[in-house]
Amino acid sequence: MKETVKIIAVLTVVCLLSSALLSYFSGITFARIEQNGIDAINDAIRVLAPQAVRNEEFSVSGLAVYRLFDAGDNNFGYAFIAQGQGYAGTIKMMVLTDMAISEINGMAVLESVETPGLGAKIKENSFRGQFVGLSVIPQIILLKDKISNKNEVQAITGATISSRSVVRILNDRIEELKENIK
Amino acid sequence: MKEFTRGLWYEHPTFRQLLGMCPTLAVTTSAVNGLSMGAAVIFVLFFSSLIVSLMKNVVPAQVRIAVYTVIIAAFVTLVDIFFKAYIPDVSKNLGPYLPLIIVNCIILGRCEAFASKMPVIKSLKDALGMGLGFTWGLFLLSSIRELLGNRTILGYQILPAGYDPLIIMILPAGAFLTLGFLVALMNRIEQR
Amino acid sequence: MKELLVIFISTILINNLVLAYFLGICPFLGVSGKLASSFGMGMAVTFVMTLSTTICWLIYNLLLVPFNLYFLQYVVFILVIASLVQMVEMFVRKFSPMLYNALGIYLPLITTNCAILGAALFMVSRNYGFIESVVFGFSGGLGFSLVLLIMAGIREDLKFCDVPRVFRGAPITLITAGLLAMVFLAFTGLLNG
Repeated sequence: MKETVKIIAVLTVVCLLSSALLSYFSGITFARIEQNGIDAINDAIRVLAPQAVRNEEFSVSGLAVYRLFDAGDNNFGYAFIAQGQGYAGTIKMMVLTDMAISEINGMAVLESVETPGLGAKIKENSFRGQFVGLSVIPQIILLKDKISNKNEVQAITGATISSRSVVRILNDRIEELKENIK
Repeated sequence: MKEFTRGLWYEHPTFRQLLGMCPTLAVTTSAVNGLSMGAAVIFVLFFSSLIVSLMKNVVPAQVRIAVYTVIIAAFVTLVDIFFKAYIPDVSKNLGPYLPLIIVNCIILGRCEAFASKMPVIKSLKDALGMGLGFTWGLFLLSSIRELLGNRTILGYQILPAGYDPLIIMILPAGAFLTLGFLVALMNRIEQR
Repeated sequence: MKELLVIFISTILINNLVLAYFLGICPFLGVSGKLASSFGMGMAVTFVMTLSTTICWLIYNLLLVPFNLYFLQYVVFILVIASLVQMVEMFVRKFSPMLYNALGIYLPLITTNCAILGAALFMVSRNYGFIESVVFGFSGGLGFSLVLLIMAGIREDLKFCDVPRVFRGAPITLITAGLLAMVFLAFTGLLNG
């Protein structure tokens, strides 16, 4: 009986002390961790749209969209999160479009686990650079060789599936946005 | 002194005892990741050993593993919060492998086998030795993989641009192969 | 339904917990020497992993999230897993001696199997819903068992091979695992052809 009481007492005290310690530390770092998350999003937007000074977040189909405002407080476009299945796992991107959602003006990969050296090239400027001034009407088309139209993107050699995934994720997401943003 | 040096070579946690394999293989894609994982393990090992050694006469035998696990989990959460707040990039790279330090057999193993029986100072020496041994193991493994897979070590380019990176080295398969060869190399050195 | 199938297949073949995420390597190196024990270990892990992801999901979403206790996540998860393993062991011993004979000796080893805690953490970081988490836990265990069995088969044959002395034991097992990981790379594009 005495032994049982001791066991329960020791376990309870250890659990209470660790919870108290963690609660204290999580309290003093909470604001900072929150801010890190916001900073990461703002940095990603700033890289794509340096003229954006302010944004308003809302959600379409469970993923974030940011209404962007320039120095004169004019709403000049949207930045949105798009994600979906890539070659090896989920690809998550931040994308910039105009007000009419007719053109993509920049794309950055936030998270991906594509094969280093092949699929991971979706992060590089040679591929990413094609998503500036890219028309999405009627939709983005992926080609293996030379491109000639404003809505076409050239696939990465040796990583067609990663390239195709990016284009498919973007087309699907843009469709969602067009339906939900008037 | 014996307590400290043992972990560095003769009872090296990675190459001799094959403990803590999961972070060893998972985060060693770049030397920076290897070093930050090593630092996190040293911190958790040091403080868990300290507390366990201090409490050795209070904890009833039946629940000692549960108590050690809670103590370790608490320190791991502390490191996790600290990394998230002050070095978010590193925290993102380590991902779930940072919390997985909780079930890293090195820490629970040292607490159970050493710190729970020994005086505080000896336990701390043992923890530091094991932690540093683990860290240099991670650093060696991650440097080899980063060098062959990306031409760099700690981000500095070492191999010339003409060298075609062996992508397989950064993939999971490369981790298994490199570690396999390193363990064999250690066996060879010991055999002499 | 389609999402569940995607989780099922990708967790077993593409993002295998052992070969792609290095979870559960310790039992993988320790137990994979014999086919029979690999089977027992695999079944025990599948059983506990399905239960633990289910219960951890409930606790995380019904207790930790509403009360904003994220910082207790790791402590709570490891306690849940440890007590779950204990309870499963007592329960199985009492109600199914046959099952206990088959799985009993592997159960205590499971608490420190990082695949179990890893699966619970992945479930949270990937924002899985309830059904998805159950499927994920189950397929994670199956994937672990599959690789463990393949490995045991190879190692039983390796016994008759003339492996250089310094490579015997752990090194040759790790290198075999590396080759196996390369083989599994071929499954990568499976869901995206």
